[in-house]
Amino acid sequence: MAVADDVFASYREYGREQGYDLRWLERRDVWGEGVSPRSRAGVLLQDVDHGLAAEVPDESRNLTGRPRGALPRSGVARVGNYPVRTKADVWLRNGAELYEEAVARQWSSATDIPWQAITSLPDDIERAECQLATFITEIEFVAGDVPGKWIAAITPDYYEPRMFLLSQVMDEARHLDVFRKRALVNGGGLMRRTGNPQVVGAVIDSARDFTEMSARLHISGEGAVLTLFRMGELMAYNDAEKHIYRLCAQDESRHVAFGVMHLQYLGSVETDRREEIQSYLDDAELALVTGASGQNPVARGLPSNAALAILLGGGEANVDDGYNTLLAIRQRQVKEYVQRVRVAGFGERFENGRANPMLEQYVQAH
Amino acid sequence: MTDTQQPPPVDLSWKAMTIQWGTRAPVRKGAGLTLGAINVGAYAEVPDYWQDRTRSPRGAYNPTGAAAASIGGYYLRHKSDLWADNAAELYEEAISRRWSSADSIPWDTCRGLAEDVEVAVCQVSTELSQQASIEAEVISGWQQQMSYGFHEVKVFLATETFDAARHFEVFRKRALLNGGGLGLESPGEVNRWLLESRGGWTETVALLYLLRGLFTRTIYRYLAAYAPSPVEMLIGRRAAQDKTRHLAYALHHLRYAANHVQGMGDHLNAGLAQAELVSARDEKDPVLWESLACFFGGGVRHMDSGMTIVRSMRRRYVQDYLQHLGWIGIQHQRMLAPNFKAVLED
Repeated sequence: MAVADDVFASYREYGREQGYDLRWLERRDVWGEGVSPRSRAGVLLQDVDHGLAAEVPDESRNLTGRPRGALPRSGVARVGNYPVRTKADVWLRNGAELYEEAVARQWSSATDIPWQAITSLPDDIERAECQLATFITEIEFVAGDVPGKWIAAITPDYYEPRMFLLSQVMDEARHLDVFRKRALVNGGGLMRRTGNPQVVGAVIDSARDFTEMSARLHISGEGAVLTLFRMGELMAYNDAEKHIYRLCAQDESRHVAFGVMHLQYLGSVETDRREEIQSYLDDAELALVTGASGQNPVARGLPSNAALAILLGGGEANVDDGYNTLLAIRQRQVKEYVQRVRVAGFGERFENGRANPMLEQYVQAH
Repeated sequence: MTDTQQPPPVDLSWKAMTIQWGTRAPVRKGAGLTLGAINVGAYAEVPDYWQDRTRSPRGAYNPTGAAAASIGGYYLRHKSDLWADNAAELYEEAISRRWSSADSIPWDTCRGLAEDVEVAVCQVSTELSQQASIEAEVISGWQQQMSYGFHEVKVFLATETFDAARHFEVFRKRALLNGGGLGLESPGEVNRWLLESRGGWTETVALLYLLRGLFTRTIYRYLAAYAPSPVEMLIGRRAAQDKTRHLAYALHHLRYAANHVQGMGDHLNAGLAQAELVSARDEKDPVLWESLACFFGGGVRHMDSGMTIVRSMRRRYVQDYLQHLGWIGIQHQRMLAPNFKAVLED
């Protein structure tokens, strides 16, 4: 759409003769640079930005809430209280892709789970299912409320991570809801809450820095839950439960990927913050090996831990077998954590003695 | 101690800890298992006041009987602070009607528009994209204040902020699709009012949904009606469908609050009149009206007829605004700010 400026000049001249202002009728920097939809995927967010709209500033001075690439106007109030306006604090290289994937992979807990596949289970199994579901219902929306708090704190110049976090809040709402449904569909009910602040993710709430929050939430908390969901086949007693774990794992994979990719970006552009990030990983590891974060359903001391042992063992009578399998899951949580940290670019901690020594105990345990 | 060491004796005391056992929520053919359907027996009891400031699920067994230590936030603990009877149904509806801007819009069908119309579409899209961005900021800032006793509202609002994300990006995509580019930012007075509204969620709902949301939906509907191509028509229709759902929550919440909080109706009546005056500053800005007139009329040379449609659209908005307030139980006609009255008389 190549059009000369004077076409707009003639429109403006005509309009102004009629008493219109027409300050908006200007040729923009990207004029003529259209976007072609992909043959099957359509128009994706990662494909549309060009020109000014594609320029992601290292420091944002956008305090009026305008979309990145929109033209600023004088006289507009500074409405945005955006403490996160340094790109490295929140950026990742594939935020738009992760957002589009989230949109494409939405599912419904009402109709995408074959609820009719659930039949009556032995009492000890049903109670264990319900206790596990109660715990997961309690922790899942940690990852909804906490990102929610940060969305309004991030300048819209970094809209891609904001959009991803909005998709995550949606995912977590569905997770809260699907496990509540599981507890109430098969002759059981909700069971014991934890109620302990440390056991419901307060350590995530209290993070004062976005990357610190992301390390605690995405890398440590959701990473551990992802491992568990991926092994859902071992603790599922019917197709409905298998579907729940599979679909939730798919969502959690995206959330964990966000955390890993953000750490990777930050570590590559702000090398002076690497030591600080290592300290966040120290905390994340401590939570992982001791269960101190309270977000890990597998961790010892929680009702969900015993419930999992019953489910994995095949009943209360085989709880010791269940604990053996549970230890294998704990080991896998540790191995996957190590791999994620390596991908994020902070793997040196496993070579230089910085990593928590108890990680090794898990690796050797089974 | 790690989990690699010998486990302690298994504590199975939780096995008896439930407020109600034997619950079988009905799975319905077609609809599946909905959030509303699991509100059965004791789990359907929504308290007027939720004392706990943690994430304890409603209906979970509390072994101590006391409120757990607070983890911060969750200040909205009265049902009247946020409740709407239709929240669970709206949540499921939002999920069942989900759409993707990437592949639900026939993007190739809006090529070759006249230059002035293209720029007008881009300007309107910029404004609507910014409105959606502000909507997400406002709601997500409140999420963590909402207690778990009312999880239906929390999860519904999660769908709304996700809708807002989609509205943000679908209008961004439209602005950038044909090389028109993003236009001028919003003058932002109503945005500011929404973001600065911290008196209570109910007050924010009145502003976010009635003052702004209803206006936004009116624009969406007119976009669909006067769209220069199937792209704007479908975007307008789909976004209006989403916005109607958001308004359904707001109307039910505001009516609930007006009926359960003494003086709330009068409070909202006065607050909205004040907000209408603030919106007058945005209304004086010609950018949105002119770009809509160019859009509706079909070009700069037809802006006079387009402006007639804009006036009709604004009148329709104020009429709907009063009608919706009436449904809530607020008779607002006499309180209406002069700028809103002028629109009705235009």
